[in-house]
Amino acid sequence: MIPSGIDPSKVTRILFQDFSPWMLAIFYVYAIGCMAAFAWGVYAQIHKYRAGRRGDRLAWGDIGRRLLDTAKTIASHRTLRRRDTAAGRLHAFIFYGFALLFIGTATITLQEDILGPLIGLEFWHGHFYLLFKLTMTLAGTGFICGLLYMMWRRGWLKPPKLDYARPDRTPQDADFSRERYRIEDWAFLWTLLLIGITGFLLSGARMVWLQNDPAVWDTRWWAPVGASIAAGLKAVGFTSAGAGALRMGLWWLHGVLALTFIALIPYTKAKHIFTAAASWMLRNPEAIRHLPLGDLDAARIGYRELGDVASRYLVQADACTKCGRCHEACPARAAGYPLSPRDVVLTLREQANTHLGEVLPKPRAAGCATPLIGLATGEYRPETLWSCRQCGACTEICPVGVEHVPLINMLRRTLVDEGEMDPALQRTLGAVNKTGNCFNESRRKRPNWTKDLPFKIKDARKEPVDVLWFVGDYASFDPRNQKVSRAFARILHSAGIDFGILYEGETTAGNDVRRVGEEGLFQQLAEGNISTLGDCSFNRIVTTDPHSFNTLKNEYPDLGGTYDVSHASAFLKELMADGRITPARKLDFTVTYHDPCHLGRLNKGYDAPREVLAATGVKLVEMGKSRDNSFCCGGGGGRVWVPDPPGTTKVGEIRAREAAEIHGLDALVVNCPKCMTMLEDAVKTTGNERNFRVLELTELLAEALEPEEPAVLPAPAEVG
Amino acid sequence: MKILVPVKRVASLDDEFELRDDGRDVDPDFCEFDLNEFDEYALEAAVQIKEAAPEGSVEVVVLTIGPDDADDVLRKALAKGADRAIRVDDAGLEEADRVAIARVIAKVAENEEPGLVLCGAQSADQGNAQTGMSVAALLGWTRAAVVSKLDFAPGAATAQVERELEGGLVECLDVETPAVLTIQLGINTPRYASLRSIKQANAKPIECLTPHDVGLSDAEIGAAGALSRVRRVFVPERGRGEIIAGTPSQQAARLLEIISEVNG
Ligand code: SF4
Ligand code: SF4
Repeated sequence: MIPSGIDPSKVTRILFQDFSPWMLAIFYVYAIGCMAAFAWGVYAQIHKYRAGRRGDRLAWGDIGRRLLDTAKTIASHRTLRRRDTAAGRLHAFIFYGFALLFIGTATITLQEDILGPLIGLEFWHGHFYLLFKLTMTLAGTGFICGLLYMMWRRGWLKPPKLDYARPDRTPQDADFSRERYRIEDWAFLWTLLLIGITGFLLSGARMVWLQNDPAVWDTRWWAPVGASIAAGLKAVGFTSAGAGALRMGLWWLHGVLALTFIALIPYTKAKHIFTAAASWMLRNPEAIRHLPLGDLDAARIGYRELGDVASRYLVQADACTKCGRCHEACPARAAGYPLSPRDVVLTLREQANTHLGEVLPKPRAAGCATPLIGLATGEYRPETLWSCRQCGACTEICPVGVEHVPLINMLRRTLVDEGEMDPALQRTLGAVNKTGNCFNESRRKRPNWTKDLPFKIKDARKEPVDVLWFVGDYASFDPRNQKVSRAFARILHSAGIDFGILYEGETTAGNDVRRVGEEGLFQQLAEGNISTLGDCSFNRIVTTDPHSFNTLKNEYPDLGGTYDVSHASAFLKELMADGRITPARKLDFTVTYHDPCHLGRLNKGYDAPREVLAATGVKLVEMGKSRDNSFCCGGGGGRVWVPDPPGTTKVGEIRAREAAEIHGLDALVVNCPKCMTMLEDAVKTTGNERNFRVLELTELLAEALEPEEPAVLPAPAEVG
Repeated sequence: MKILVPVKRVASLDDEFELRDDGRDVDPDFCEFDLNEFDEYALEAAVQIKEAAPEGSVEVVVLTIGPDDADDVLRKALAKGADRAIRVDDAGLEEADRVAIARVIAKVAENEEPGLVLCGAQSADQGNAQTGMSVAALLGWTRAAVVSKLDFAPGAATAQVERELEGGLVECLDVETPAVLTIQLGINTPRYASLRSIKQANAKPIECLTPHDVGLSDAEIGAAGALSRVRRVFVPERGRGEIIAGTPSQQAARLLEIISEVNG
């Protein structure tokens, strides 16, 4: 430890030794100036955020849990490690390095400027100081390693998600270029790196300069990097005096860089240090499955102008680090649609900075009136908003808690309110309003699929049932899905379940109507269903349709309908666990499973369907994108009703090709009527019709339950 | 300036339906009703003219003739941007044909003095395509049917219109105003009426008038004003053949029977 003969109180770092009073004065003036700039920047940002709408504030009762969750998430870097472990780990190096170095510097200020002058407390010497040196060295080393990795990643690895090219703009557009962001990224990394490097050089120079003081020299290996640099400096001939001059220069360079960095935090990407934490804390963990309830009588139903946007989203826009995880996950982006969730966020950020002020706060009233949607520079184009499938892949993966899904939905509500949408979508919404279903079929026909069943399903409107089966549109009207509905009915019947349906009384649940942005129609549909359900007697609701499942479970409670809702896959798993159904044979197919967004990502229903699959005996080979990273079939957000423009890649085709890569695949198993429709189509258009089939989980199980039935899979078709 | 847009609440049939007891129309229980699609384009054309003009200088008035159920389509039209809605109650109009309906529209047009009357080219349920032209004839105004392009600045003495003819020909016309135009599908992209805007339209008043209120005399109302009458509506039974057996006189008797059956 401290060599004998050295007074532990002498084992400390000199700070301002050899500084003339005017130097000290300059230093303090600059430091205070930087703090002031920092404080002003913080004020400017908060002024900006406060221009947003104050709606849906945080419940204070929740604050403790939120703080704890935020602290845990930051400490563990959990969200940063997802789908990019290396970057996440190395970011942790930078984070912890920076935090320790910052705390270290803060302890100096604490003693020198606060506790020392005030109460004469001096602790910054002796063993504490030695440990301090060692810690700082470790922190600095990690910090520099992390930064070097990030530079290598940006400069050489160049992951596609860090390419900021905008899919929603062409190079001719004024707001196409992301060059400023690129410059900022590099400036940020270099500044931090230089702060780190000058810190170590300073440490080495100080040792050489004070080599004659044993309290410094004999304890130098507590700072091994500095000691090595000192050895190097001596080796190239630095004397104590020469090193003293070097130390003076480095001291100023390091100090000015560090202070300038702090001053710039609120104005640059460095602000994510604060905004990311704030964004995570303010985020709504339910964002993708539960959209905000719109007030139909308010002056506006959606986001039309900057001032309509909730403050929380403005904070989120500043929290985005452009990491590209959302961009990478977005199915619309992957299929070449003019949408990247990252650009959705950055567009909001840029509009807020331009019109509400980032450096100099601008008068709020004027900035708040900035239109958000249109074809002008900086505005969201309607085609961008309509490209979204509301699949939640972006929001689910965002490490800082940005909520793209409700943001896009709120913007779409404005488009719907203005009547601007694809004619096909208009026709569908018109049909839903008129007939209660998106097939424009007469209400009377809704239960027609039951006619071929050898038994009669109970009418839940007329007699009490245990399980009320909410069938949904696709499962009721689409011929392919009707087969699945009948298979599910047979399973329930043979398991002796007391179940019923609403017959003509059911209307579409409205999940996708809401995701289109037609909030008024959604509420009307939900209120209608809630009143129908209110007149029925049942214990629980089961549905094969994940979309209906989602809205019944998560969104109907807002309108007064709270039910125990299960998806068919979870219900079937339950029936097997209870021994009410038992597979009679093992199917020897090789299958892969496509997680429906509304069941998987939105409601975390990943395991039940896989357990049901396992029980059928099939061999499950997972696709690269599965579970939380599942890739939308393309039908979400109302896109099932809008034909993809000719010549574009369909989102479902990307998925079908991914499945086709699996060697010896017999069936692509889906678990949602809309996925069935979209993926069956995509399997055909990608020419995979002869290679594998698209089957519903329920169908597969039905087959495993009935030994005498012939296989649903035909012998592979002869080619040619 | 006003633009008058007469709209119709049209019926669409279920796959299975029944006829009314008198056999002269479909039982409305088997119909879904909605705003006539052609009229949506006419309305959109009117609203676009309004939106391009200085605010407050153009008023779009929608008109329908029917029972209070027909208020639905007026609300939808209000939600899509119409400023005022008039419904002429159809009590006493049961026997009205398109000419009798046109008399009502023409009277309203005389009262409102619009610069343009924009009708849908035809109705989706009956497809006569005569109402609009009858209105023009009754008013004695210039007319153009099945218009596929319309340029009109409010206050101008003429409107520029295009019509698509056989063989891909396009006819360009300068039409003096006031004029009656019937609008073809595809002339624009009608906007969607969100449920919220329809609800908000519920708060707007609808002027309810009787045929007498608009100034029609009894001789012009309903059957008296009509030039035709529906005798019977039926689904011809396809593929039904009957071989008439028997002696020539028996065959003749059966034939007479069939003829009188078909004539109803
Ligand atoms: S929004 Fe989130 S996931 Fe997307 S780039 Fe920004 S930080 Fe990354
Ligand atoms: S919800 Fe899905 S489609 Fe929409 S932006 Fe996010 S990832 Fe893309």
